[in-house]
Amino acid sequence: MSWHLTPAQAHEYADHRSDDVTAMSVEAHITGCAPCRALLPTDEEWLARSWADLRDVVDRPRRGAVETLLSSLGVRESTAKLLAATPGLYRAWLLATVAVLTAALLAAHHLPRGSLMFAFSAPIVPLAGVAMAYGRGVDPAHALTSVTPLAGQRLLFLRTCAVLIPALVLCTSAALLLPSTHTPWSAALWLLPALTLVTVSLMLSRWMHLGMASAAVGLLWLVALTALGVFENTTPLQLIAPQTQMWWAAALAAFLTTLLWRVRTA
Amino acid sequence: MNTTTTTAPVHVRGLVRRYGTRAALDGVDLDLWPGVTGLLGRNGAGKTTLLRCLATDLEPTDGAIRVLGHDPERTSERTRIRGRLGYLPQNPEFYPHFTAFGLLDYMAVLKELGGRRTRHDEARRGLERVGLTDRRHSRVHRLSGGMRQRLALAAAMLGDPDVLLLDEPTIGLDPEQRIRFRGLVSELAVHSTVVLSTHQIEDVAALCRRVVCLDAGRVIFHGTPEELVDRARGHVWEYDRHPGRGHTAWRLADGRYRVLVPTVTREKAPSSTEPARKPVEPTLEDAYLLLTGTR
Repeated sequence: MSWHLTPAQAHEYADHRSDDVTAMSVEAHITGCAPCRALLPTDEEWLARSWADLRDVVDRPRRGAVETLLSSLGVRESTAKLLAATPGLYRAWLLATVAVLTAALLAAHHLPRGSLMFAFSAPIVPLAGVAMAYGRGVDPAHALTSVTPLAGQRLLFLRTCAVLIPALVLCTSAALLLPSTHTPWSAALWLLPALTLVTVSLMLSRWMHLGMASAAVGLLWLVALTALGVFENTTPLQLIAPQTQMWWAAALAAFLTTLLWRVRTA
Repeated sequence: MNTTTTTAPVHVRGLVRRYGTRAALDGVDLDLWPGVTGLLGRNGAGKTTLLRCLATDLEPTDGAIRVLGHDPERTSERTRIRGRLGYLPQNPEFYPHFTAFGLLDYMAVLKELGGRRTRHDEARRGLERVGLTDRRHSRVHRLSGGMRQRLALAAAMLGDPDVLLLDEPTIGLDPEQRIRFRGLVSELAVHSTVVLSTHQIEDVAALCRRVVCLDAGRVIFHGTPEELVDRARGHVWEYDRHPGRGHTAWRLADGRYRVLVPTVTREKAPSSTEPARKPVEPTLEDAYLLLTGTR
């Protein structure tokens, strides 16, 4: 090193008054020259903060594909983390959903009255997913997570959303591919019953395990469909017919209001 | 912690918890203050049930609990308790695909510890505390049992909780890690109320200011370790041969027998039919065994 900073050069550099060439020379020089580095004022707090920020960028846990996707869609970082961290059973449910809906589509296209299978299964698919999204027995880390401030209704609703969104997308896609679907409206006839069943299941989870509540509601749905299939002059498809949608909407509104009121007053 | 409060941070009155007709807790009254309280008792005595009730994980059948002055039966107060609570359950399980760092970050989100940087700093501090910094990016399923236990401990201690409930925390830890664990817990216990449920009497002797013994869901002792040991004076003897059936006794390394005698006996000259014996200073383990009547 053949030169050192003069006090004037150090002063100009610190005040951001050096030209680019001088500034670069100074920076190259002070990297290896402690006495000249000492001439420059140092904001220790800023340095520590910057190092910590840099370390955090390099060392932070890598985000998974789902978390990255949710963040890119504008979901808050912490919420994306919660939504992406669903239990392993959730993945099994997702695969099962694809299998069931594929089978329903094949039945609808190749079997007489095959679209009944979709009518039977579509409202239950989200229900099964919700049952596997939260609670002891389905969430391996439940003992650790159940005593945190976010546990309970808030985490349950978040996990329900994590299940409902893919379930609704998959079921709607399958409905659009049904041979009996002629309009977007007819592809969405299963939606209100599905949402109502999920809401009832969430309500019942106050008194029983969520899995049991979902099983009970799902069973009730199947019993209703079977009964309509057995009686004369009725068909299971009546449950999701356009004429019954108003009743489903009313039931959903009533149950949802009760659920929200219960959460607010708990 | 509110130092001006006159109510204990953990206050329990008449706590009953039934599973069907069986009462796991049967009228427990307790006041626990900052420092480490050891929770002792046989398997099935109600230790885990008590911790789960205190941790707001289990609703009592009857009785009252107040943690940091809040009633866990009210949702809003329960959330407040959970924000200041750390809980290490027995045999904790994790999401296996998470990394150690990722798991603590996730727990920090659930504990609402703040923004990303705050959470990451807290997770790093937790990993450092339990000596897992160099395994921070390892997936949980690749960690050994002891490492997973340390990770669960770090998760429980995130955010320096005011009440820390530890259920068998030293299972799977080697002696060096147990010493480290004691250091961590005693450091936190300066300001926090720590409840340590364990079968490791030496951990209780090393850490605890108070001891609570449970038997069949009832508190059978609540006091200092010294008070528990005092109860055993005059009950612990060393015999030169086995005292015969009906005594709680075990053979020592030098060939003599340590004998626990439920009723206080005076020192007397050995007869030709009785083995020679001498009274010895009781340990906390002797006192606990005498109290619960087991060996």
